[in-house]
Amino acid sequence: MADFIRNPVVTLPDRNPAPHFCEQELAFTEEEKTKIARWVSQYPTPDGAVMWTLWLAQEKFGFLPPEVLRLVGEELGIPYAQVYGVATFYTQYYKQKKGVCVLDVCTCFSCQFTGGYDLLHYLEEKLGIHAGETTADGCFTLQEVECLGACGSAPMLQVSNGPFVHCVTRARADALIDALKAGRMPEFASVTLPQDEDELGGNRRTDVAFCERYATLPIAKHTR
Amino acid sequence: MATKAGDWRSYQRVLLPPVRDLHKLSVYGDYAALRKVLAEYSPQEVAGIVKKSGLRGRGGAGFPTGLKWSFMPPIKAGVPRFLCCNGDESEPGTFKDRQLMEFNPHQMLEGILIANYAITAKTCYLYVRGEFADWITLIDAELAKAYEANLVGDNIMGTGFSTDIVVHKGAGAYICGEETSLMESLEGKRAYPRIKPPFPAQSGIWGYPTTINNADTLACVPPIIKRGAEWFAGIGAPGHPGPILYGISGHVNCPGVYEYPSGMLITDLLEEVAGGMRGGKALKAVVPGGASVPVLRADMIDGVTMDAGSLKKAGSMLGTAGMLFLDEDTDMVAFLRRVTRFYHHESCGQCTPCRDGTGWMENLVTRIDEGEGNLRDLDLLLDLCNQMEGRTVCALADAAAWPVRNTILRFRKDFEAKCRSSMWTAKTVA
Repeated sequence: MADFIRNPVVTLPDRNPAPHFCEQELAFTEEEKTKIARWVSQYPTPDGAVMWTLWLAQEKFGFLPPEVLRLVGEELGIPYAQVYGVATFYTQYYKQKKGVCVLDVCTCFSCQFTGGYDLLHYLEEKLGIHAGETTADGCFTLQEVECLGACGSAPMLQVSNGPFVHCVTRARADALIDALKAGRMPEFASVTLPQDEDELGGNRRTDVAFCERYATLPIAKHTR
Repeated sequence: MATKAGDWRSYQRVLLPPVRDLHKLSVYGDYAALRKVLAEYSPQEVAGIVKKSGLRGRGGAGFPTGLKWSFMPPIKAGVPRFLCCNGDESEPGTFKDRQLMEFNPHQMLEGILIANYAITAKTCYLYVRGEFADWITLIDAELAKAYEANLVGDNIMGTGFSTDIVVHKGAGAYICGEETSLMESLEGKRAYPRIKPPFPAQSGIWGYPTTINNADTLACVPPIIKRGAEWFAGIGAPGHPGPILYGISGHVNCPGVYEYPSGMLITDLLEEVAGGMRGGKALKAVVPGGASVPVLRADMIDGVTMDAGSLKKAGSMLGTAGMLFLDEDTDMVAFLRRVTRFYHHESCGQCTPCRDGTGWMENLVTRIDEGEGNLRDLDLLLDLCNQMEGRTVCALADAAAWPVRNTILRFRKDFEAKCRSSMWTAKTVA
């Protein structure tokens, strides 16, 4: 038997990486502690508040390295292992440092067949990175994600777990990147229901020409 | 042609009515249905009305809602009871709950309060997926206004009934839409589904009696109270009555969420509601209810209506009514490749048949899509489906197996065309 512990086939994650934050940074302010206390009071046990607290920690620190998870565990009085387990289960908690703006491009089937992969590959070329990578200047991370629940306005993307950008064309993608570089986040955009289009004055896309090229296939890693 | 949906062209919408700024409390009004319930009915009567209306769950399984409420055990002192509202809408092709939260959140909140009264729960956890951060902000703001107006909280409208709504933000996991893993997620654990029984009504969140309903289901409750169970039972297909939010996406001219009675003809939805196929192309396939239901070929949808019975006869399911229309140029192998990739990514990893099976499915379909598969792979995939179904804790493995089996069986020529010709010949499959 090969010694898989010493010579792992797949590289194991570093269990004790060098900390990203020093002791002084690792603390919640009084205001944040009040918020956490409110969440804890809403559940029968403090465990329930762990997801909200992780969201708060991610907003504060940008991502969730082990020392931040330990801080969350101490604040809620639950074991580090449980916090680690939760943080690693959900895809929206970032375990690694990401770019300032994270572009989550939906490529699930509704988007796939209306140009989701076109959009993803266009952004890959524009930013000079593959999906899953961060640009050298640390501005953008590009990710391929599963269905974001906006299939009627496909193709679409989400910026940094926040606003949705609907019906993205190449021109709109260019404008979005420029706006993000200038520090402007997209606003919350409401897409009118199709049944209300005439009565309430809709903002729905009516031109469909730009997403005729839906034939792009997902590109497998080994063919790159 | 007369359909089960009746005169659907003159249908008056109740879930997403055409009212500007309906999401504001001042426009929505002050919860008349809740007031009526608190003044006139006992909890058992409310459950009875909902049972009589024939409302079935809109989250995919289609379980009768009133029956689910009546499963709650008798009240015991000191044992809290909970309601969960499932707004973790992650099924690909489904986007109805998001529209509901955006355009009519108060109807959903009112439905939650009525359900809380019917099952005598003191707290409802409204689980919204983490991707809908903007909509959580919107609901939080509206909920705060409802608290101010004493429509939620202690002693609602002076009737002595108290209840709370707590918004819980998910963080991106498809599996959290499954009821038991949603409960695990609420408890602050990894969202691994639990074995049933015990069912949530006996042992739910933190072991207490719990009822879980979809957000869309609960939004149907206030109109039932206002207009009566008979009115609701008379809408659309008998056996699966009520308004349905059809989420139409894919190669159609006007994609989006449409509210119509259940039992609409699929051809009506395509041609008259969604404006026909884009570019005048021919239809190739329809996915009638989200990624996990079997796909239908274009020649299989004649006369098929959108209700549980008719779709079952046609060889598919209603699911969440998130419909995807695909045109003649669509590569069904690429479609299946993306679907298997989705399930591989979203499998929680608790049960081996699902964790490994979904991965092998993706590998095999990818190989075929890259032109390196052979015909024997198709039979291997079908065999894999048989090995996965019914062998796991939750239904995710089944949901992954159905589209694979049915896409291969119904579009076998597409798959064979992409396979390498080899010494192996295809075995016939039943």
